[in-house]
Amino acid sequence: MESQFLLAKAKDEELAEKGECGGAVSALFKYLLDQQLVDGVLTLTRGDDVYDGIPTLVENSEDIVETCGSLHCAPTMFGDLISKHLNDIRLAVSVKPCDAMAIKELEKRHQINPDAIYKIGLNCGGTVMPITARKMIEMFYDVDPADVVAEEIDKGKFIIELADGTHKSVEIDELEEKGFGRRSNCQRCELKIPRNADLACGNWGAEPGWTFIEVVTEKGKNLVENARQNGYIEVKTPSEKAIAIREKIESVMIKLARKFQDKYLEEDYPAPENWDEYWNRCIKCYACRDVCPLCFCKECDLEKDFYADENEIAPDPLTFQGVRLSHMCFSCVNCGQCEDVCPMEIPLARIFHRMQKKYRDDTGFIAGVSEELPPLYSPEKE
Amino acid sequence: MSEEDVKIVGFCCNWCCYGGADSAGTARMQYPPNVRILRVMCSGRINPSMVLKAFKEGADGVFVGGCHMGDCHYDAGNYKWNRRAKLVEELLPEFGIEKERFRFEWISASEGEKFQKTMQEFSATIKSIGPLKRSTPKITSQAKATAKT
Repeated sequence: MESQFLLAKAKDEELAEKGECGGAVSALFKYLLDQQLVDGVLTLTRGDDVYDGIPTLVENSEDIVETCGSLHCAPTMFGDLISKHLNDIRLAVSVKPCDAMAIKELEKRHQINPDAIYKIGLNCGGTVMPITARKMIEMFYDVDPADVVAEEIDKGKFIIELADGTHKSVEIDELEEKGFGRRSNCQRCELKIPRNADLACGNWGAEPGWTFIEVVTEKGKNLVENARQNGYIEVKTPSEKAIAIREKIESVMIKLARKFQDKYLEEDYPAPENWDEYWNRCIKCYACRDVCPLCFCKECDLEKDFYADENEIAPDPLTFQGVRLSHMCFSCVNCGQCEDVCPMEIPLARIFHRMQKKYRDDTGFIAGVSEELPPLYSPEKE
Repeated sequence: MSEEDVKIVGFCCNWCCYGGADSAGTARMQYPPNVRILRVMCSGRINPSMVLKAFKEGADGVFVGGCHMGDCHYDAGNYKWNRRAKLVEELLPEFGIEKERFRFEWISASEGEKFQKTMQEFSATIKSIGPLKRSTPKITSQAKATAKT
């Protein structure tokens, strides 16, 4: 279906006040739970501080208000949580573009039932590693990281809010020039508006107090329409100008992402000697494999004795990372989880993203976005 | 053939390329002895990981031979291998292995001559770039101590 643009906000006053941009997303979740269209909502709740996000399954619509607000410093991945643990219930989930990409790939592989899931996409300009966030808040904002009560990314700035209500902001460009700021895979990410979900929501182009929603699928269209009719959200049509502003923001961000792709994947890409050094660090903890949302085989090749030599630590990169690459690289959604969990700081997402880009150039397959499975899985004679 | 000579692993499909090697043999066509042929039932049976494993075990070149397009005994195996082979070609340079060390070709059972020619060409290529030098990871002394025997 053709995309459709809307502005929406929650009718519930508490949600409208506590939620980001009028709380439209929270109101949609509340509607789904109240009407028992889903058994649970998977979303992120705040843990001890703003650097701590905990994936939470909300089953009671009164608890939705607890999940309001954004957490940019807690990069998480919902794809494998759903396929491994929440596959037996009807679910609504708030997804970043990379979550939506992982879910889409898993749906194609029959690991997630597409009919049992509502994907409410959230526009995403990128996330920050908790440790990086703490460091940069100390260095650039001259603030104790523990004093930060909220954070936001807006208009190219990373903004923090302190307990006394004051705001401090620094340009993300400036942070990233010094090696801080968003995770490097987020800097390279081209999908800022999750058009692979049912709805893509965000504040770009929206008036204050309203959420800009791009309706992508029929399912999303019906959801918004029914939530409006049942009095959960208020809807209006955005102005031409608002749509143009949103498009402008997106195109600027994509252009920037391409620049970072050139930088990280071509110009500053590690030479083979550097990779040898990285591979030499590997302690074979298998964390990269375990965390990968798309890697779901029950019997793993890496543990078969013809590839895994028990005496080899670090493992031979050809039969460890090489085998992983040959299985997964064309499906890589660049979520960056492998790199995040690596205790030896091997820049894994870079090699995976680079290989997926090469594969995309050769075959046109874009992981997490294309409707069909990777051509490598095709039984066709072509 | 000396120990220092280059080693080539050749995966040949049972129905075509292996037959091609047989034809070359029965016709007494000579080809370089560097290639060690492994018979597989179909080129579609070969995973990129098998090629990687061959390089890990010390091969200087890997050759894969399958049926011509449309001739696969299992209908579409060679199409599947063709798609995988493209991935292997992209993957090897990431580990510092030259693209030229990997070659795949479609050879029918009657094409003994093509098999001979391909082997001559490929081993000449590998000889000209020389043995594969990889800096394999060093085993740390602690790892050695804790590793099971």
